[in-house]
Amino acid sequence: MSKPSFVYVIYIASTAEKVFEALTDAKISERYWTGNHVESDWKIGSPFRLRLKREDKDVVGEVLEFEPPRRLAYTFHPHHGGMADEPPSRVTFEIEQQKDQVRLTMIHDGFEPGSKVIEGISRGWPLVLSSLKSLLETGHVVLHAPWYEGQDTRRSA
Amino acid sequence: MRKPEFVYVTYIETTPERLWEALTSSEFSRRYWWNTDVVSDWKVGSPFSLVMDGTTTDAGIILEADPPRRLSYTFQHVATGEPAREPPSKVVFELERHGRLVKLTLTHEGFADGSRMLDGISKGWPAIMSSLKSLLESGRALDVPLAALDIEGVG
Repeated sequence: MSKPSFVYVIYIASTAEKVFEALTDAKISERYWTGNHVESDWKIGSPFRLRLKREDKDVVGEVLEFEPPRRLAYTFHPHHGGMADEPPSRVTFEIEQQKDQVRLTMIHDGFEPGSKVIEGISRGWPLVLSSLKSLLETGHVVLHAPWYEGQDTRRSA
Repeated sequence: MRKPEFVYVTYIETTPERLWEALTSSEFSRRYWWNTDVVSDWKVGSPFSLVMDGTTTDAGIILEADPPRRLSYTFQHVATGEPAREPPSKVVFELERHGRLVKLTLTHEGFADGSRMLDGISKGWPAIMSSLKSLLESGRALDVPLAALDIEGVG
């Protein structure tokens, strides 16, 4: 039996460079990542941090791969909601330019059976990556997570 | 052990009514679904088919039609190749409004272990759903080359 993993593929009318920048830039990420943002100097082995706006503890990790604009990987270890006890999982982005759009493949794997983290990220990634697509294609994003009802704020480019 | 299925969730800035129309109208579907018509009268028990450039590729029966919330149909590949010999699977669309967004959940299930069909639709749906989202939000669908999906027997 294969270990649990979550894979999400999305096509974005943009360039590989812009998608890569959006995945690694703190200010851009804050706009589509429901107010959270990424932080790292993106050197292999450097710390990675996902600053969580609504939690007092961040997701931490380590940069595993950094090959702009094609590939990015980091470990992912949430410390809120009783998830610190699980071992770190791994996030990998593959970016392929095709004609006028990019195919972005996000693979989140390395979970143990019964993981709480995979439940949360399976719910979160479709919203985060849908928002990323909207931001790059239309210049604005509707920050409205169903699990944060009442925090619907539109931000312009 | 989990049953083989494909689930895809996307969030689209639109209304459930417009999204329903986009899922059930050939005028829309031709623009985001590789020039494919979605043909049905959308009544429960009625036939459903996908017609790409004049050729019926997939066919089924409407199981549920509850506009603008829930749509489901059986789905069987009827064109060429091995996937055509697989039994019908089932497609379900659930539309939920959240503020200015609609959460669209697509579930495609009912596959046998080792299904070729499951492999093909797992590659196809993300492109179709991405293009649908682009069309509704920006007015421009995507032009994803079918051949780039690397689906056996397609492109």
